[in-house]
Amino acid sequence: MNNTNDTWEIGGKMLNSRMLIGSALYPSPSNMEEAIKESEAQIVTVALRRQSAGEGGGNNFWDIIKELNINVLPNTAGCHSAKEAITTAEMAREVFGTNWIKLEVIGDQYNLQPDPFETVKAAETLVKEGFEVFPYTTDDLVVAKRLANVGCKILMPWGSPIGSGQGLMNPSNLKAIRKQFPELKLIVDAGIGKPSDAVEAMQLGYDGILLNSAIALAQDPVKMAQAFKYATIAGRLGYEAGTMQKREFASPSTPTVGTPFWHQFS
Amino acid sequence: MIKVSVNGEIKELPKGLNVSQMIEALNYKTKGFAVAINTTFVSIKSYEETIINDGDTIDILAPVQGG
Repeated sequence: MNNTNDTWEIGGKMLNSRMLIGSALYPSPSNMEEAIKESEAQIVTVALRRQSAGEGGGNNFWDIIKELNINVLPNTAGCHSAKEAITTAEMAREVFGTNWIKLEVIGDQYNLQPDPFETVKAAETLVKEGFEVFPYTTDDLVVAKRLANVGCKILMPWGSPIGSGQGLMNPSNLKAIRKQFPELKLIVDAGIGKPSDAVEAMQLGYDGILLNSAIALAQDPVKMAQAFKYATIAGRLGYEAGTMQKREFASPSTPTVGTPFWHQFS
Repeated sequence: MIKVSVNGEIKELPKGLNVSQMIEALNYKTKGFAVAINTTFVSIKSYEETIINDGDTIDILAPVQGG
């Protein structure tokens, strides 16, 4: 049940779902397929890795993804330099037939934090080569500015480190990026663990969320895909509806006028 | 014969092969992969004109799951 009234554009495509889903870590290929279908996501992330010779049986994973008939977002996961990421992106464009690339250049092996310097360098080249760059970045406002300056129309700041499930570590930084770049498409990528994290990200006014581990590593990935589908919709609706201002003190919601037994028992 | 590294493994190939001939010689049966030589992407349209040299490092990548 996508929110069909909520059509939005990203990378030149009109979509009804604001959830981007990963294809890794599921218990089985069929479970992955079912979870992706249940999520109703219209973008799925994929990767490239070395292939052995003589594998005559075809590529089961890729056949399943193609059958889903949704947009594919290849990543450059595992790259540690701009040069590696650019070569991987060029290879991905040929294999997957898309100019979309999730640019991921890792700067630290411990927390898989993106390398801002190499990410900006790679983004600049890839934008010039005609790629639609989806850069995975931290929640640093200055890095976001640099990425925007080199032509990125989409930014994907992390909620917290990849696969950690820690949720949004620094909502105020994410809010600042949203405020600074109203015209860019913003996706919270990485660190989302619970459906409530998705709600929180969407309530900040982010255009979407990208997640993988939170669904694939759940006890029941298919059910969790459903939970995230609804959470994403709920968060977006909450953002659009405009939340109330917080108050310092309590304020009754039921009318006080006509309260029965007024002062009769005191 | 020349020695090259293919996806991290040392292989011996006849001298003077282009990329298409190399793929055949290595017995790659599936489609849907991309090739890089010495960390530079080689597009399909360059396969015929790109000659494999002794000591080249070749990466052949195919789709896998990713986040």
